[in-house]
Amino acid sequence: MITKYLSLYRAFFKASFAADIEYRLNFIFLIIAEFVWYSTQLILFEVLFRHTNIIGEWNISQMRVFIFLVLFIDSIYMILWDLNFTAFTDNVRKGTLDLLLMKPINSMFMLSSQRISISHIPCFFVTAVGVVWALGQIPDFNWFKLLWLIFLVPAGLSVIFCGRFALNCSAILFTRADFLQYLWYSLFRLGLRPDAIYAGFLRFVLIFVVPFAMIASIPARILLEPTQYWMIGWSMLLPFVLFTLLKKYWRYCLRQYSSASS
Amino acid sequence: MKTSFIAFWRRNLALANLGIVTNLEYRFNFIIDAFIQPILTVGIEVLLWLAIFKTAPEGKIGGFSREAYLAYAVWAPFLGRITISWMYESMMAEEVASGTINTILSRPVSFFEYYLSQMLGYKLITTIFSLMVPVVASIYFDLPIQLSRLPLALLLIMYYLILVHMMSFLVSTLGFYITRVRSFTILKNLTLLLLSGELVPIDLMPKFLAKLFLLLPFSSGVYVPLAYISGRREIDLMISGYTTITWSIFILGGLCILCWQRGVRQYTGTGA
Repeated sequence: MITKYLSLYRAFFKASFAADIEYRLNFIFLIIAEFVWYSTQLILFEVLFRHTNIIGEWNISQMRVFIFLVLFIDSIYMILWDLNFTAFTDNVRKGTLDLLLMKPINSMFMLSSQRISISHIPCFFVTAVGVVWALGQIPDFNWFKLLWLIFLVPAGLSVIFCGRFALNCSAILFTRADFLQYLWYSLFRLGLRPDAIYAGFLRFVLIFVVPFAMIASIPARILLEPTQYWMIGWSMLLPFVLFTLLKKYWRYCLRQYSSASS
Repeated sequence: MKTSFIAFWRRNLALANLGIVTNLEYRFNFIIDAFIQPILTVGIEVLLWLAIFKTAPEGKIGGFSREAYLAYAVWAPFLGRITISWMYESMMAEEVASGTINTILSRPVSFFEYYLSQMLGYKLITTIFSLMVPVVASIYFDLPIQLSRLPLALLLIMYYLILVHMMSFLVSTLGFYITRVRSFTILKNLTLLLLSGELVPIDLMPKFLAKLFLLLPFSSGVYVPLAYISGRREIDLMISGYTTITWSIFILGGLCILCWQRGVRQYTGTGA
């Protein structure tokens, strides 16, 4: 079973690589554009810290860890899923979803993994180095804490994957659903900021209800602050909760789906 | 193509109407675009600035108060959204890449005009509706915004949109030479995010960068009108904004004509 999906994934990778390389100049500019986008996030906080010492509860070194971590997790998401989710509403509107649903493999896998963004791969390596560099600036950092990322990164990715997939599923319920993309980008901004800027009930919501704080804020806290085991426990539990809910919602949406007869 | 002013006006009014009607067709889409997205963005930015000011020395940053930055946080995303062109630029680039531009080339209207008027119509209707968000927020939080200065600032933004459209036109004409230009759109818009002052107020940048950014026309998209309506800067900055946009339109206009003429000569319509 796993071998079958791995070989499929290899085929998807090869096809995506060939498609991306076809227009070389566009490909190079895409890589540059991704670096510009990631740089803007860094520049924002670098400029702000020229005028203040603490934002939320973090100084500049701690904030760099958070920013590189959020960009690292984002780059994985962009490589694996973003192109597929962007095309999702078109698949529903144009009826190509029928074709994908009929294939003899898991429909969620098919819809989320067909295209791989090769242009984001350099960003993945640069942000990974960035995380290590930023952690190196933290005095007396315990490097064994990095092992927690084995649980924390999948937890963060599950939030992005399930959130985006669930929003896209809703495209089945509407005729034209471009707004879902807009909504996603606005919501995702919640995760691009440290959770400490949100207070009280809103922070609770962002950790437990719409868990965007689990993308990078809580992982950064686990790395930078004394270990709080409830955070680790929640990080381990979260992917299971989200995927269970997502599966139920996906089945519900498919029951509502009427083919566009492509 | 009729060349009288009345024919020009009627043609473009019809195109602007088309832009408005197309975007109002799916109302839920429009509500998210005009209200929900700005509200969410403004909310997050306000929270960030409140957190920054909790530890700011003497309650001031770069010589400006907390309220001045909250005003910036409320208005910058709103102005940034008006002055950026994703949708129409993507449509224009797609027309060139796929060859469907043939249908426009055979009509009695230019490709430039066809999309400029539609884009202005769309921007006008989005501005009218989403303007309520920052205005209500400014009144509610008693932010230092001089609403009497708003018409002149909005006029600058509309003028700036012509420049924005020229950049979109230039990017899409590149499609004649290299077919796939999506990356140019992304790169350009992300760079504008920084140069316009939407990401970080230009006052906070290192001095030499701030000077450079103000010399460029892109600051007229967000920073210049916002600095004017929030009272950070006076009319002289607005005048310099109008001036820089004007010379940029001349330079970019020349470049657009050159790229378009060479591109169309090189282009082979495949009957799409």
